[in-house]
Amino acid sequence: MWELEANSLRESCENFLYREAQLLDDRDLLEWHETLITDDVEYRVPVRTTKERSAETEFSEESFHMIEDWGSLKVRVERMENDFAWSEDPPSRNRRFVSNVRVADEDPDAGEVSIRSNLLVHRLRANDTEPDLLSAERRDTLRRVDGSWRLADRTVLLDHTVVGTPSLSIIL
Amino acid sequence: MAQNRTGDARGSRAPIESKLERMGDALEQGEALLEILHDDDVFERELERIFATNWVYVGHESEIPEEGDYRQRYIGKDPFIFVRDENGEVQVLWDSCRHRGAKVCRAEKGNTTHFRCPYHGWTYRNTGELIGVPRKGDGFPELDVEEKGLHAAPNVDSYNGLVFASLDPDAPDLETYLGPSKWYLDLYFELADMEVIGDPHRWEIDTDWKTPAENFYGDNYHVPMGHKSAIDVGIGSETAKGEKESELYAISEVGGHAFSIYQIPDEDFFWGHPPEVIETFHPDRLTDDQYRVARQSGVSLGTIFPNLSFIYLGGSDDPDKDTVGTFCLRQWQPIEPGKMEAWNWIMVPKDAPQEYKDRVYEVGVGTFSLSGNFEVDDIGIWDGIPEAADSVFAERVNATTVFSMGRGEGTVAEVDESWPGPGTVYREGGMTDENQLEFYRKWHRTMTEDR
Repeated sequence: MWELEANSLRESCENFLYREAQLLDDRDLLEWHETLITDDVEYRVPVRTTKERSAETEFSEESFHMIEDWGSLKVRVERMENDFAWSEDPPSRNRRFVSNVRVADEDPDAGEVSIRSNLLVHRLRANDTEPDLLSAERRDTLRRVDGSWRLADRTVLLDHTVVGTPSLSIIL
Repeated sequence: MAQNRTGDARGSRAPIESKLERMGDALEQGEALLEILHDDDVFERELERIFATNWVYVGHESEIPEEGDYRQRYIGKDPFIFVRDENGEVQVLWDSCRHRGAKVCRAEKGNTTHFRCPYHGWTYRNTGELIGVPRKGDGFPELDVEEKGLHAAPNVDSYNGLVFASLDPDAPDLETYLGPSKWYLDLYFELADMEVIGDPHRWEIDTDWKTPAENFYGDNYHVPMGHKSAIDVGIGSETAKGEKESELYAISEVGGHAFSIYQIPDEDFFWGHPPEVIETFHPDRLTDDQYRVARQSGVSLGTIFPNLSFIYLGGSDDPDKDTVGTFCLRQWQPIEPGKMEAWNWIMVPKDAPQEYKDRVYEVGVGTFSLSGNFEVDDIGIWDGIPEAADSVFAERVNATTVFSMGRGEGTVAEVDESWPGPGTVYREGGMTDENQLEFYRKWHRTMTEDR
C-alpha cells in the first residue's frame, strides 16, 4: 500500500527526504511549510552535552536549540522571508546531504512510518572558503496525507555540543 | 601566544600601549577604538587583566543541586570544575591534575564522588583533596598529599544562586564588586527564586566578546533596525512593538555594570508573567521602591562586568500565543581574538507551574538562542566587525566607534533625578550611549591601572 512511484517503502521515504532537501536548499521555505509538514507537527533539536560512556543519553530532555510546532515554524519561515532578516541576507548557501535512510517502524493503520537518516549540512556564508558543517541523525515520523508524505515529527540529534555555526537561521 | 609584530620588516602595527592610550583619548570624546575588537596583544592582556582578575560568572547553583553534581566551566579560557562537594559546598576547582596536568574531569556534566586522572590514576575527592596516588609508598614516600589537592579558584562567592569566582587572591569581595547594581539584581533574583532549565546553549561566533557585552550594557538603539524582521512578524515584547506605552530607563554608574529597564506606568506587568506566577513572588524581600519598579517592568537587560549579560523579555515566539516572562542569562566567553563562544541559560521562577516553565523555555529558544528569531540577526551583523578591526587601515585612520548619542543640544535623553534606585539614570534611555561608555571606561581602567 505504500509504494507510490517507488519500489519500496524505504525508497518512497527517501524520495520525500530528497524533495524536502531540495526545497530547503533552494530556500523555498513557505512551500516547505505549506506542503511538507502536518498541522500537528512536532519538531525539536535537543541540546547535547559530553557525558561519560555510562550515561544513558547525551541528549537533554529539557533543553533544545529548536522546539517547534506548526505556528512557531510559520513565524520562523515568515521572518526569514522578511527584507530585514540580516542573518540570511545575503543568504547562507546550504547543501543537505541525506543518507543511510532506514525504516525503523511502520504503522499502516495510522498511515505512518518512522525513519532514521543521516544529515550533513554543508553551509557557506558570504565568501567563506571553509564551510560550517552540521552533522546529525534525523528521527522522523512521516504520515500519509492525501496520497503524499508529510512530516509529523522530527528529532534532530546533532553530533555537536558546542555548535560551530553562528546562527541556526535554517531548518535542519 | 601573542604575536610580536614589531619585527615585521615592512613596518609594524602599534604596540598595545599605543592602542590603550588612543583608546583613552577616544573615550574622552565619547568614542572607542575599533582596533581593540580584534588584536592579539589586547586579547592576551584581557585574559590576564579582565578575566583572571574580576569576578567572573561560573554557574547557577540550580545546575548542581545534588552532592557530587558537576559541570565543566571556564573563567576566560581556563578550565574549571563547578561542583557541589560531598559536604554540600560549591567548589570551583581548576581542571588539571597536579601530577602531569591532564584534565581530571572529562565530561561536561555528571555526578561523582571522585575525579580520577586517567593518566596515572591520581584521585581527588570532589572537594579537590588528593586522596589516591598509585604506589605512593614506594614511589613518592615524601609527597605531601595535603599540598597537592586540585588548585581552587582563590575567591568563590554567590549571590542568590549565581556563583562567581575571582582568580585574584586580593580581589574585593563579591558584594563590593556588585556594589549598587545589587539593587537591580534583586528585582530579578530576590523577588523570585530563579532556577536554570536544563543545559545551556553553546555556540561559537566570529566576533569579539566585547561586542555583545557592550550591546547588552544597553544598546537599545539597534532594535528597530537590527530586529525589524522579528518585530514585523509580531513576536517579541509589547513595548518593542509599541503596543504598550512605556518609558525606557538607562542605568549606569552602579559599580561599572549597567541596566536598561522599560517601565509601563501603573501596570502590574512583571516582565509579562501571568497572575498565577506573580503570586509566587516575595514582595517582602524588596523595598517599596524596588517593588514598584519590578511591578512596572517590561523588557529589562543588563551586563555585570565583564561578560555576564541577561535579557528579561515579556514576549512570545508566536503572535497567536500568550506573552510569558522569559529570562535569558548569557556569558560571552573569549576564545581567540575576534572569536567567542556564547553560553545561554534560560531561567524561570522556581515556583511557577511546570507547564508555564515549558512555555518560557520555548519562547526563550524562539527569541534569544542559537536559533532565536532576535538573536540570529544580531550575530549576522556582529560577525563583520572583527575584519574591519583587524585592518591596517583601522590603525592608520585611528578608526573609532561612536558612543556620543545623547550628548549635545536637542537630544532627548535626560537624567531623571526622581528615579528611586541608585546610579545615573536616563529617561529616553534608548537615546543615550552612557551605559556602553561605562563598559568601555571600566574595560580601559582595568587594562591600564597599575598592579
